[in-house]
Amino acid sequence: MAAGFHLISATPSRTMTIVLSWILFAIGIGFYLHTSAARHRENPEDRVTPTIGQMARGISGAALTVAEDDEIQTQPASLIQRFSTGMLWKDTIATGRRFLCSMALLFPAVLLGLHMGLFPYVGAFFLRFVLFFDKIIALSLLPILFIAFGIDELSKIMLIVIGVTPTIILDTFNLARSVPNDQVVKAFTLGAGDFDVAYRVVLKQIWPRVLNSIRLNLKAVMLFLFAGEMIASTDGLAYRIALLRRHMGMDVIIPYVLWVALLLFLVDLTMRIVNRRLHPWFRES
Amino acid sequence: MLLIQIENASVAYGSPSRPILSDIDLQIREGEFVCLLGQTGCGKSTLLRLVLGSERPLSGRVLIDGRAHRQPDRTRGYVPQKYSLFPDRTVLRNITFGAEVSDFSWFGRLTPRYYRRRRELNHEAMAHLCRFGLRESDAEKYPDQLSGGMQQRVAIAQALMTKPRILLMDEAFSALDPGTRKDMQQLIRKLWRETGTTILFVTHNTHEALSLGTRIVVLGKESLDQGSRVMLDVPVPQPCHVQEIPDLVLRLESVSQLRTVSDDAARTDSTSVIPEFSI
Repeated sequence: MAAGFHLISATPSRTMTIVLSWILFAIGIGFYLHTSAARHRENPEDRVTPTIGQMARGISGAALTVAEDDEIQTQPASLIQRFSTGMLWKDTIATGRRFLCSMALLFPAVLLGLHMGLFPYVGAFFLRFVLFFDKIIALSLLPILFIAFGIDELSKIMLIVIGVTPTIILDTFNLARSVPNDQVVKAFTLGAGDFDVAYRVVLKQIWPRVLNSIRLNLKAVMLFLFAGEMIASTDGLAYRIALLRRHMGMDVIIPYVLWVALLLFLVDLTMRIVNRRLHPWFRES
Repeated sequence: MLLIQIENASVAYGSPSRPILSDIDLQIREGEFVCLLGQTGCGKSTLLRLVLGSERPLSGRVLIDGRAHRQPDRTRGYVPQKYSLFPDRTVLRNITFGAEVSDFSWFGRLTPRYYRRRRELNHEAMAHLCRFGLRESDAEKYPDQLSGGMQQRVAIAQALMTKPRILLMDEAFSALDPGTRKDMQQLIRKLWRETGTTILFVTHNTHEALSLGTRIVVLGKESLDQGSRVMLDVPVPQPCHVQEIPDLVLRLESVSQLRTVSDDAARTDSTSVIPEFSI
């Protein structure tokens, strides 16, 4: 390390890499704690930067007490029962359901992209329209969607579909086009039909890349989902964050934000591991 | 018996259109081993694709066994230089692919008959593999894990598994090192003798063409703004011994020289077609 740690050819040791990668986290947390402590010294009633203790109380309240709009039943005894009737869990389920619905709707998009890439007539029919659709800012459609579909689940899911689908379609289209033509010709010479080529040769080959592209678009899915929930919803994680903003409930908002980040990270990680397990032949280049 | 008939086929690309092939006339009988020789960019791969059916001639026609084909199918096997194996399938699955797709539809794959047939196919493919100089332990590997020579062996095995009448090879050995290439040449020669498949082999290597084919067709341009024509069409005397090859190269050269002297404009083009020695 002594010999020029700033050089491209530098080789930091493993411990060094780990230490370096955590430094910014430490600085961030330290800075927050410092600010929080200073503000509380000035004003013990400060709500902008809750202390760790306040956040812990806030989140355990959110996670373990029955959501306020449910009827109070007999207080459940075990921790798991209390968690599963709690506000945090209820919100997570509501958001998760919408998330899964919209993920399921991305699969037709993959199939459309595949067919557009392989069948010239399908491509000619859809491509220009999808390209145009891709340029529409989905959030600007939000009012239209609320007017057209009402403010219930459908409009929120439509928002996600409209926002993310064109990207997925075009991605799959390009991936399908990038499969060498010799592969298609070879499959034909081995006696494959058009649909064998589409599903058994091309789709199977681009599938890991398609999954990757969906994975990279998770953030866009969540963005549209949160926008929809914040504006018109009666449950969900983003609804809670928007609601608590009115009460300046930073002690719950901050843990909620971290919880969402953690969930998204876990979904991403799972998809990455599943992808690697399912496609041992696939090497990212 | 005539198997492949190419009648006055012309191909041009792009706009303004640039001629690639003009008025190609070629008849290939069943069981021939034809080497298509020419320099890079002379349209020999295009001619191969005409026979393959993945491209159609601008004018003229291509008949396989007396019929025109609109797209590639099982009568013609294909071994390109690269991308010939499906990267997502193991060697075994690559070899059985042809039989699987042609015997079973999507729904057919759900029946128990499919699994029985698949077991049979696996045995067949294993026996097939050994003939091509691959080990049983290679069967579960992915194409990525094999060397270039091994990949081409699998590609040929895959193409021959469906027993096509014609095998089309496009610079199939050009990316291999000389030693491996020689092995592969011996292999394909042996397979040709055993199976009697008609082979059309595209190469830019005179030596390779001479050591493989029973007939050599040389493509070349007479001038730059014209498409390639058949410059030479000669049978290779059988049996062709390795020692005779240099003489044959000289003979081919002298034949093409005679032509170029008579046609001044073509001198630069067609002389560079022939003299390439390797190995």
